[in-house]
Amino acid sequence: MIRTIEVLFVIIILAGAFIGASYFAVLPAPRQVSPINLNRLSLTTLQMLDSDYDLSRAAFETDNSTVLGQLQVALSASLPPNVIYNLTVYDVNDGGGQLYTSVANFSNAESLGTTSDVSMYTVASSNVTFNVTPEKIGEKSNGGTLYILNCSDANGWWITGYTAQSLAQDLYNLLSPYFVNTVMVQNTSQLAQILIGTPLHGENLQNAVVINTCGEAVPIPTTYCQALYSTDSYAYYSYFLGQRVNLYNWTWASIVGYPFYYVSNTVAFASGQNTWGIYGMQSTGQGGSRAFLEGVNNQSYVSNSNAITDSANRVVTFTQAAIDSCNYYGIYPSIYQTSTRALSNSTMSSYNLKVGFNVFNPSGDYLAGAVYNHVATGSTNITGSLLALGLTRTPDVRVTALSLLSYYQPRLYPSEYTASGTSRLVVLQLGLAGGS
Amino acid sequence: MASATMDHMISLIVFIAAILIFIGLFSQPIQTAIVYESHRALSTKTSDLLDTILLNPGIPANWGQSNCTAQGFGLQDPEFTQYQLSPFSLMRLGSSTGNMVEYDKTSPSIYYNNASLGFGASLLTPNAQALNYSASLALLGINNTYGFQLTLTPDITVSITENHGSSPLDLSISATGTGFPFAGASINYCLILVTLPQTDAEYPFYTIQNGVVTTDQQGIANVTFPSVTDPVYAFIAYAHLDGVVGVGYFTHGSATDQYVVPIVQDMASQEVTLAHNYDLNNSGLAGFSLKYNATFVISTEDYTLSELSLGSPSSQGIVTSGVGNPYPSIPLPTCTTGILIVTYQQEGSTQGGVVMMPWGISSLAFPVTFGGNPVGQDWVATDIRQVIIGGIAYQAKLALWNQGVQVTG
Repeated sequence: MIRTIEVLFVIIILAGAFIGASYFAVLPAPRQVSPINLNRLSLTTLQMLDSDYDLSRAAFETDNSTVLGQLQVALSASLPPNVIYNLTVYDVNDGGGQLYTSVANFSNAESLGTTSDVSMYTVASSNVTFNVTPEKIGEKSNGGTLYILNCSDANGWWITGYTAQSLAQDLYNLLSPYFVNTVMVQNTSQLAQILIGTPLHGENLQNAVVINTCGEAVPIPTTYCQALYSTDSYAYYSYFLGQRVNLYNWTWASIVGYPFYYVSNTVAFASGQNTWGIYGMQSTGQGGSRAFLEGVNNQSYVSNSNAITDSANRVVTFTQAAIDSCNYYGIYPSIYQTSTRALSNSTMSSYNLKVGFNVFNPSGDYLAGAVYNHVATGSTNITGSLLALGLTRTPDVRVTALSLLSYYQPRLYPSEYTASGTSRLVVLQLGLAGGS
Repeated sequence: MASATMDHMISLIVFIAAILIFIGLFSQPIQTAIVYESHRALSTKTSDLLDTILLNPGIPANWGQSNCTAQGFGLQDPEFTQYQLSPFSLMRLGSSTGNMVEYDKTSPSIYYNNASLGFGASLLTPNAQALNYSASLALLGINNTYGFQLTLTPDITVSITENHGSSPLDLSISATGTGFPFAGASINYCLILVTLPQTDAEYPFYTIQNGVVTTDQQGIANVTFPSVTDPVYAFIAYAHLDGVVGVGYFTHGSATDQYVVPIVQDMASQEVTLAHNYDLNNSGLAGFSLKYNATFVISTEDYTLSELSLGSPSSQGIVTSGVGNPYPSIPLPTCTTGILIVTYQQEGSTQGGVVMMPWGISSLAFPVTFGGNPVGQDWVATDIRQVIIGGIAYQAKLALWNQGVQVTG
């Protein structure tokens, strides 16, 4: 008998468990089993209302009942009939106290029921200008100077259609925000001054960037238009420049064509021309680049007129890193460029030059555009760099700017988005009409 | 001893019976809970899948404007972000509602998807270039597991009715949202008034009258054209308010038994053939001719129509029914959305009309239904988003159901 009683106890316990489980395991309403994603519906509705910035305008005209009425009609018309809503516009405060202050609200129902969800959307006033503050190149590493060779007494070559001065101005506009100091080197005398290590305006000479806007020609101060520097049609002057680049750890930028192919001084070479009718110029030839590389490599000068390019015609494309920089810095030259003076990478490496940044995808051994860093044998320090863009004429200085920015990668700091009076927060809460 | 044995047997029988009963009782809520979880998972999948379809352009990104086979299914406009869909990718979806149309003029048994909305506006796209439902299931990775139907419906329904046909022409425009009249909305309209010439040497042409009216509290506006008599016309109305834009149209012609039907031949080259309606499904006799004049217009920012030159000698000519008779082909001039307007006139008659074809599904706010049929499925989960297609507000709705393994309560 006792076992039967025990079984009855078991049945009571099981029945109690079933009743208890049934009581607590309440099945959800069908609406909760398979809900509409109100959060996404709300967000896409706000995006649609702001597709022509009408929501942004309305959010800043909350005391205009006509504008708010139109917004309510548009909202009601675009939502399904069984969806109820509550839209609230908040002003964003930047001072102390309450961060968000409600400035407008409307709804099409007293209550949003048991199931609702919200999305938030920040709109900006049309009166607001958002600034971006760039990081300064070299401000934390004892550098930060940009020299743009804007020499009035030097002519350029392969910059046909432009003058060196107009290119210098464009480069100034593009790059000066990214440097601590931007110095326009107005004539070859000022160039001579920095070559001997004297700053023009108290700027930091070390680790500077020097952009030669004269294309294949390089300005030469009158004081260097004499023996020794005139060796091998002034190839020795290029050697001297290479030594300065090494000494001051400059980054020398050649914007187009074959680097150091000519030297230019309109006073010293007043009667000389480059065989193409451009006076004030002296042809150095292919040996100029070799001499510069010898100078950068801090080796003895050896006359060498072998070419550093094969002069083949190539259509080249930006590397992915350069394309990414286009989007980051908002500079958009064509990703397709034509190169006829791509430099031989193996030749460059024989001067202890390593690629620091590839602007264009390589074509075999040839690089149409790259920043080369000189790292002496047995050292890990960079002692001089060369940006060589072996593109054909005429130059697009946006490529130069993009190359330098891609190499140095200064960051951009956007201004505060939630500044007082410039932003408002629109909150759209959606619910479903009817019972639960 | 006997009493103990009986006690033992009775208790055992009662215990086993109780266990069996309670197993049955407990299995009910457990099974229901499993079904609930299955439906819940289906709902989550619906939301994810809808975002997958709407927030990626597919592979390649321009598959909607090419002949290539899509390697990934997505409908986002590659030139935009967020929920903006490509009006051209939608043209390449095999329609699941319209009947197929056979047009044998080029070669036999060539079929076209028919997304037409009655007389006056049609969209026939080549079935051979369409992405069909089974292929899209495979591209989404849900073949044999889920079935779906994607529906894109304009948020604003703009319907136009003719109160008075001529002298004056009086039209009523009604704009209604999915849940509310589009009250106080601006209606920018374009009346395309067709002139049918009296001589055979001339082709029918049209002029455009633009205007703006505002809808009342019921979302209705009326427009009257006192100077229009005996009209052959098309009327396009854009209703817009606070970023929500809808479009509607109406056509009226004096000849509706014979008319021209534009047919998209090739999405990549944007080639459109102009067919005689007798040649569709071989429904009429051969040898009937229509003079036509085709133009392509785009909608500008202020909702007026701007004509783009077709630059083709075939933009004017004659189309004659029957296999072997010539049929004109026109390459459309642009990859932007627009409307192909074809005015036509029966040869030797003053009867004619006008037909339109949207280039890009949104130009005339055509709806889209793509996928399987949810009717009869055990449990169908749905989710919706607001999307923009070519500047027109649409509602995208995805219905999803389990295929294969079914969990039933």
